[in-house]
Amino acid sequence: MSEALIALQGVTKSYTRGGQTLRVLDGLDLELESGGFAALMGPSGSGKTTLLNLIGALDQADAGSVRVAGQDLTGLHPSQLAQWRADHVGFVFQGFNLLPVLTALENVELPLLLTPLSKAERRDQASHALELVGLADRMHHRPKQLSGGQEQRVAIARAIATDPRLLLADEPTGDLDRESADQVLELLQRLNAELDKTILMVTHDPLAAGHARVIVHLDKGRLGRIETPGAGEG
Amino acid sequence: MPLRLVLRNLLSHPVRAGLTFASVVAAVFLLCFLRSAVAGLTRTVEAADSKRLWVQSAVSLFVDLPQAYEGKIAAVPGVEWVCKWQWFGGIFRDESGFFAQFGVDSDTFQRSYPEMEIVEGSYEAFERNRTACLIGSDLAAQYGWGLGDRVPLLGTIYPKADGSAWEFTVAGVYESSKPTIDNKTLFFHWDYLRETLESGDALGPTGVGVYLVKIASGADPTPVMAAIDLMFENGPQRVQTTTEAEFSRQFISMLGNVPALLSGIGGAVLFAIFFAVLNTMLMASRERIRDVGVLKALGFTDGAIFRAYTLESLLLCGLGGLAGIGLAKLAEPGLVRALAGQLPGFAIDGGSIGVGLGLSLAVGLAAGVIPAWRSSRLLPVEALKGDA
Repeated sequence: MSEALIALQGVTKSYTRGGQTLRVLDGLDLELESGGFAALMGPSGSGKTTLLNLIGALDQADAGSVRVAGQDLTGLHPSQLAQWRADHVGFVFQGFNLLPVLTALENVELPLLLTPLSKAERRDQASHALELVGLADRMHHRPKQLSGGQEQRVAIARAIATDPRLLLADEPTGDLDRESADQVLELLQRLNAELDKTILMVTHDPLAAGHARVIVHLDKGRLGRIETPGAGEG
Repeated sequence: MPLRLVLRNLLSHPVRAGLTFASVVAAVFLLCFLRSAVAGLTRTVEAADSKRLWVQSAVSLFVDLPQAYEGKIAAVPGVEWVCKWQWFGGIFRDESGFFAQFGVDSDTFQRSYPEMEIVEGSYEAFERNRTACLIGSDLAAQYGWGLGDRVPLLGTIYPKADGSAWEFTVAGVYESSKPTIDNKTLFFHWDYLRETLESGDALGPTGVGVYLVKIASGADPTPVMAAIDLMFENGPQRVQTTTEAEFSRQFISMLGNVPALLSGIGGAVLFAIFFAVLNTMLMASRERIRDVGVLKALGFTDGAIFRAYTLESLLLCGLGGLAGIGLAKLAEPGLVRALAGQLPGFAIDGGSIGVGLGLSLAVGLAAGVIPAWRSSRLLPVEALKGDA
């Protein structure tokens, strides 16, 4: 049995909006094994993105323990969290979030600036990541010169540029047409299967979730049922 | 944070960045100019010779003194010689052709100003010819005058009786190594003025504008000044004797408190430009909230974000400052020519360049720190949503 890359115990997170406190996660326990591909589903407000942010060290839990890649993230200083993110996790966002003033290659190179690699090594590694996502011929294009699907693939190349163990994708196909969405999902599957990346993907789309190996349902900040797509088939 | 990203961000709104850059250039140019003007005024005062005293009417610089004072002043212990000066106020061609002209004692004028060098012609030629004149090198260059040329001046204080112009023949061109004498003045014989007035060929007051008093080396100017002032305390015309430095200062202060005025304008410009740059940087930081979220998600620290924004503001102002200084240096020869009469010591000096660059960087730092701090303090999740 694989080790648990992500282990959450009794995680609680609340937000205050308009003077009202809203408990988004309510004593959540969750374990995901290394090398897995899990889809996180649930209705709006169920806490999917909040959970993803806690696992990705973008936010901190009010209570409980968040342990990812062997590191307890609770109580770490913001600069320690930043360093941990640089070392262990790659993010893919719904809106791609490429920096518009940089080319595809320069966007992919960004996280490598936080590594001790030389300029030439950074270029090589960023180029390699773009080749992996099939965009070697678009590396000098600015984001606005790319299609939505291409932008998302550049974002995936950026997420894997530093070779992190964990990829966190928040609605990665939410802004894409079906064909581009399928390409992105197939790419994520390939990264999981061939490069052993552990992937946790938030999605509303059952078709997208179908590409994962495990589907975790959240409801009102608590863990719901867990499905295994394809289990029992063939 | 890569410098490339900072530069690309800076240029992402070329019109806005260009306008802010241009305003920094204009402000630093103006600061350099104003600071150099103040420094020029100060240099004129500092360059004053402590052995030269000026005796003027206690009422006003525009009130003449009796000619009979010359011998009495010369007899005061410690006084080596006296040189009369009289403002002529003539006009060359028309009102726009104005420059300073003074009637002076030719026998004591040159030795009173060792900083003055005759670069064309000779002082002897000037002394020999009653209607001769000496002109500054800038004046010679401005009007293309050379040795032997005749300079016609229409008298305003001293009009010729027949309405004709006075004529002075250029016998020498001088250059001064100090701002105590500018290179844009014409000097002629005071005796020629007196003789013409006495003969009735010209009209006007027959007094002396000011007496330049050269005191002996080793003499203390304070008792000499006190003695001269005391001598004429009961008239017929009371006098005020000052050091050359004080005389220059008074002359400058006739225009008001110029250094304070110029410094005030410079300060106001600086204040305005600070808000212009701050506004640009705040707009930029508001537009890039999501970018900050992305950078933080990738692992960039608060400090890296802070440095990037501060650097962007510093680059904008620093480069603008350098361009402003470059513009000031380019304009310097023209400004020196244009201001030779009013500010003989004017130069865009190293101090002004340093102040211009230092203040532009200070504005860049001050205007960059606020948006930099705000951006660096954003929570990653809030920034990714585009919330501030």
